[in-house]
Amino acid sequence: MKNAFSKKLVLWSLVWFSVITLSLPTIIVVGASFTAGDIIQFPPEGFSLRWYQKLWELEGFKQALGRTVYVSVICTLLALPVGTLAAIALARYRFCFANLIQVYLMLPFTIPLVVSGISMMIFFGEIRILGKLWPVGVALCLINIPFMIWSVTASINALDPELENASYNCGAPPVQTFFSVTLPSVMPGIITGALLMFILAFNEFLVSLFLTDSRTVTLPVQIYNSIRSVITPDLAAVSVLYIIIALVAIWLLDRLVGLEIFLRSK
Amino acid sequence: MLLPGATRREFMKREQENRLPLSWKLLDGMERVVAFVWPSRFRHAVGWWFLLPALALVGILLIGLGYMVQYSLHELDISTYRLRADYSLANFATFLERPVYMRVLVRTLLASVIVTGVTMVLAFPYAYQLVRVRSAAMRKFLLIALFLPFFIGQVVRAYGWLIILGREGLVNGILGQFGIAPLNLLFNYPSVVFGLIQYMLPFAVLLIIPAVAAISEDVELASEGLGANWWATFRHVLLPMARPGLVGAGIVVFTLTMTDFAMPEIMGGGKNDFFASAIYDGFFQLSNPGLGAALSIILVVVGSVIVSGAFFLAGAASLKARGGG
Repeated sequence: MKNAFSKKLVLWSLVWFSVITLSLPTIIVVGASFTAGDIIQFPPEGFSLRWYQKLWELEGFKQALGRTVYVSVICTLLALPVGTLAAIALARYRFCFANLIQVYLMLPFTIPLVVSGISMMIFFGEIRILGKLWPVGVALCLINIPFMIWSVTASINALDPELENASYNCGAPPVQTFFSVTLPSVMPGIITGALLMFILAFNEFLVSLFLTDSRTVTLPVQIYNSIRSVITPDLAAVSVLYIIIALVAIWLLDRLVGLEIFLRSK
Repeated sequence: MLLPGATRREFMKREQENRLPLSWKLLDGMERVVAFVWPSRFRHAVGWWFLLPALALVGILLIGLGYMVQYSLHELDISTYRLRADYSLANFATFLERPVYMRVLVRTLLASVIVTGVTMVLAFPYAYQLVRVRSAAMRKFLLIALFLPFFIGQVVRAYGWLIILGREGLVNGILGQFGIAPLNLLFNYPSVVFGLIQYMLPFAVLLIIPAVAAISEDVELASEGLGANWWATFRHVLLPMARPGLVGAGIVVFTLTMTDFAMPEIMGGGKNDFFASAIYDGFFQLSNPGLGAALSIILVVVGSVIVSGAFFLAGAASLKARGGG
């Protein structure tokens, strides 16, 4: 009995330490955004919504938000077919050099982001598309595409290949089998992957830093630039926007596929 | 068109029957198109066609890296501020000659070791409790506490730490209540390491979970039934069984820390730069793309060597364990 108690004590204290460390910045940012004062300080100076109001009046913020949504949508729309098809191909077909293909498709993760970002900046500069907004979406899709492939692969591995064979056996031609058997059964993976792609693109900072300029700056880059100068409470209000979007994404993920999907053994 | 009720129903029904086959017709049409552009003798290549968009997308990165390698082999001409046309290894020599780069590299690697160690110590219990906890509400809470920071992004999280640890921040505010003078908690090495641990924790937990979930609870019960206390069970049963997941998570955390840019920049206050900042400065502050590219190549090579070394050691150790029984 004492045994079980000491185990619980040690494990739960480590877990609670982690929970607090993970959540504290979020909670503090929410609190700080409602301050009535001109600077962030503790204890805060009363309650107000003035920083949200100020945020709403900032034209630059709204434009940066619009651009961020735009690149995130491009990233997600591109990742949907590209990642899904690649995952199906990897799980269902045999390739020569299969290992080499795996390593190649993992390059976006193995190459440091700072190197990927500058490499793409050079390449986009050479083909004269640097400074446009859509290449940023493509680049964000590129650096996160392994997440999409992983999520879809996980659902395909759970799909019994005999189902597809049964569909062929019942006389369904390949395209119909693809749309009415393969695609619906990998849907949880596709939804998870698409949500991840959107939210990661929405947050991505380093690659966007290299690919945007003052005319095409996205929200994370703008926050970074502001942090480096003066820390004002309007940044806290922007951060609250990020927290709300993250909460919506978690809620959607839980509703559509269930967060417990991440607790599976493989 | 005035039709008696029964006839109208009949009409609607026929209409519906007509409409249903429309989607079938559409599908049949698609089948025919696919069969035409893709005769069955091409079928064996279907996998390659599915793979092609992904291969092309990652190809963009490969071309960019090609430019990077090319840049690294040309020295900057100070008089024109352009890269010289002839090939040389001068940029790599610069890296070896200037001790500052070696110092930054050592600082980066040391931080990576510390962050990986502490993150794993925190992440394994988290993953374990997440998998084993009985209460569904608690499980959901732990999952949300994990995903929320994961989905918020590095810059916003660093901002949160700035207002917690800053001079007017939460910690100093609380200390001030007790009459303690404000401390300088930010812009030093420990604060960068701390920020990175918090950033890496969700990655590590998500990567360790599958390894822990694969271990049956019966194994633990068996170990305890044979008289092992929980620590011995942890040490000799759980950790070895979860090893592949732990090694994978450790490698991911190590490489992500080693290549991080935002945390050292925001929480380090310019005095605790990591190697990524050196690359950034090479390109944008010294305006020397040759040197910046050479430093990029060095970061990729150092990272790859460490990762393959870790895989090799882990693989060799697990072979030995299997051989020794």
